[in-house]
Amino acid sequence: MTLNRRNLLKAGVAAAALPLLGSRAFAQSEPLKVGFMLIGTVNDNGWNFGHATGAKFMKDTLGDLVAEPTIVENVPEGPDCERVLRELAQSGHKLIFATSFGYGDYVIKVAEQFPDVRFEHATGYQRSDNVATYNARFHEGRAVCGTIAGHMSKTGKAGYIGSFPIPEVVMGINAFVLAARKVNPDFTITPVYISTWNDPAKEADTARAMIDQGIDVIAQHTDGPAALQVAEERGIVGGFGQGADMSAFAPKAQLTSIIDHWGPHYVNAAQAVIDGTWETGDRWPGLKEGEVQIGPYGESVPADVVAAAEAVKNGQIDGSFNIFTGPINDHTGAEKVPAGVIMTDAELLSMDWYVEGVIPPA
Amino acid sequence: MMQFRLEKRREPSKVMLYATPVAAVVLTMIVGAIIFSAIGYDGVGAVREIFLTPLTNAFKWQDLGVKAAPLIIVGVGLSIAYRANVWNIGAEGQYIMGGLAATWVALATHGMGGWWTLPVMMLAGVAGGAAYAAIPALLRTRLNVNEILTSLMLTYASVQLIYYLVRAPWKDPMGMGFPQTRRFASEALLPNILPGTIVHAGVPIAVIVALVAWFIMSRSVFGYQMRVVGAAPHAARYGGFSENKTIWLALLVSGALAGLAGMLEVAGPFQRMVPGFPTNYGFTAIIVAFLGRLNPLGVIFAGIVMAITFVGGEVAQTTIGLSSSATGVFQAMMLFFLLAGDILVRYRLKRVAPQGEARA
Repeated sequence: MTLNRRNLLKAGVAAAALPLLGSRAFAQSEPLKVGFMLIGTVNDNGWNFGHATGAKFMKDTLGDLVAEPTIVENVPEGPDCERVLRELAQSGHKLIFATSFGYGDYVIKVAEQFPDVRFEHATGYQRSDNVATYNARFHEGRAVCGTIAGHMSKTGKAGYIGSFPIPEVVMGINAFVLAARKVNPDFTITPVYISTWNDPAKEADTARAMIDQGIDVIAQHTDGPAALQVAEERGIVGGFGQGADMSAFAPKAQLTSIIDHWGPHYVNAAQAVIDGTWETGDRWPGLKEGEVQIGPYGESVPADVVAAAEAVKNGQIDGSFNIFTGPINDHTGAEKVPAGVIMTDAELLSMDWYVEGVIPPA
Repeated sequence: MMQFRLEKRREPSKVMLYATPVAAVVLTMIVGAIIFSAIGYDGVGAVREIFLTPLTNAFKWQDLGVKAAPLIIVGVGLSIAYRANVWNIGAEGQYIMGGLAATWVALATHGMGGWWTLPVMMLAGVAGGAAYAAIPALLRTRLNVNEILTSLMLTYASVQLIYYLVRAPWKDPMGMGFPQTRRFASEALLPNILPGTIVHAGVPIAVIVALVAWFIMSRSVFGYQMRVVGAAPHAARYGGFSENKTIWLALLVSGALAGLAGMLEVAGPFQRMVPGFPTNYGFTAIIVAFLGRLNPLGVIFAGIVMAITFVGGEVAQTTIGLSSSATGVFQAMMLFFLLAGDILVRYRLKRVAPQGEARA
């Protein structure tokens, strides 16, 4: 199109007609705009990748009912996330998923300003009329990983790269070592907190330091595959994928992986908003519901270990096995949970103590 | 064929001095649009969303102000130090120490604060930043240790100090074990100056700081000393200006302002100390200082331009799905063009006859 007066005029008329068209289109059924706020990038092949995959699952399942999901990456846990939340709400997103713990304060704050927008905060604990929380029982997967570690570790020493000592992370460490000690009563685990969810360099450095100290199995509660890559390079017994299958990065070292399958939850939440039935609350599904899945086992895992891991997995699915069943002692050896008693969800969600076998960080 | 040669100017060009930052921004937009189009994105859309939407959408102005304020305050301090050829790279650390000092006041007076809480926090922030900058000053003046290295390395130490404090002594008793302090009491929070927005008192403070700094730098003996020591150290020595004193002043002033920015951030947008407090304002402010031509008034504009790229980068993510790394690419391109353009301040392009023709 050449730029002349007639064409400009045409464009002007067309532009003037646009608002009319817009309001007419909106009056029909406008697809629901869903926003996702991530702390890292969608190609971290872990936590954020898991959420992005869930977003895609939602779009594929609901089709034209939802618009192409909006994903904002690399949003720090601070005032910057408040701006992104407002940006999403102002640009017409009626359902917004905030997928990192540290967004909590800001989700509550922005949600007050946008009462007609629904917010869901992953791994958080603060709720309001339009803010729900959701999480997955990762610790069930940790119990499976811990069982494998208990069988396979030669030194009986595991390392655990954590972000922050919040209950979600502490719970995972405890589930891991409880499961490992059922196999090897002398098993110990050393957590190291690196104060970030995603810093591949730091994760790799930590993994190297752990291996130098005689640790031969590494688990991590951070977002990417960096620790596994170090495990592969150094040829230790192995590690576990977190959030997604990371075998592409560590084909030998990945013993198995905990896969987060957020898709069904995102479908349900979006459908509820469309139907007008969305309600606040806390959702915490796990292996049984398929939100937490165990990935393929590595080649180095012997058949009997696979069988033991599968038994732990299936026991948690049919409800016959719960890793947080007493007797459980804390790291000093004092009894915290009497024999036969199962810890409640409320107790798990405020867990701030380590079980026996954890060498607490200074 | 035409050939050009760089020829040194007798004096730095005033026109180029002010034209190159503008040209850097414009070139960034043009080249950015071309590059992103070439790799298959909507390049023009990216430039529009990153550089224009934050300005045209009135909802975004509050964000620009809030994001620009700390950049301007830290940038003004750095521009003063850099004028004197004192290379404080550790503003991020001084910003953190200012924030921590203010947090200490807020936590120590929790539940018994009053109108005096914020002024005391402000003093603590300024003192914290200045004290942390005093370490490189001392090392430089006494032991002749390069301040670039010491100030930068101290930044990492200050980050670890946050982690330590929020994990143990300052941990929020109600925070579910999350390493963060409790939320500050209302007396320790910056007032909001425009109801219905997020604009806090730090925004006008940033403008006032820049204006005062401009006045001091251009009108006072202190400003003259900074400029003369930086531009002509030998002449300054003859003139009786002490080099050590200048180093001290430059580091203390830039550290104090970084500390002030830290206090305003923690008492404003953050409302508590968290491990995510360091957000690279101290490093970004280095670009701001240079983009602003080390002139406090220029820093105001540079701070706003950088804020636009941050806010616009998020807009581009939500509207056209551009990756967050794009913002970094645009910011880096801007600094690159600015530094490359700087050569035109001291040199000019002169057309010369090609050698072939000259021989013929």
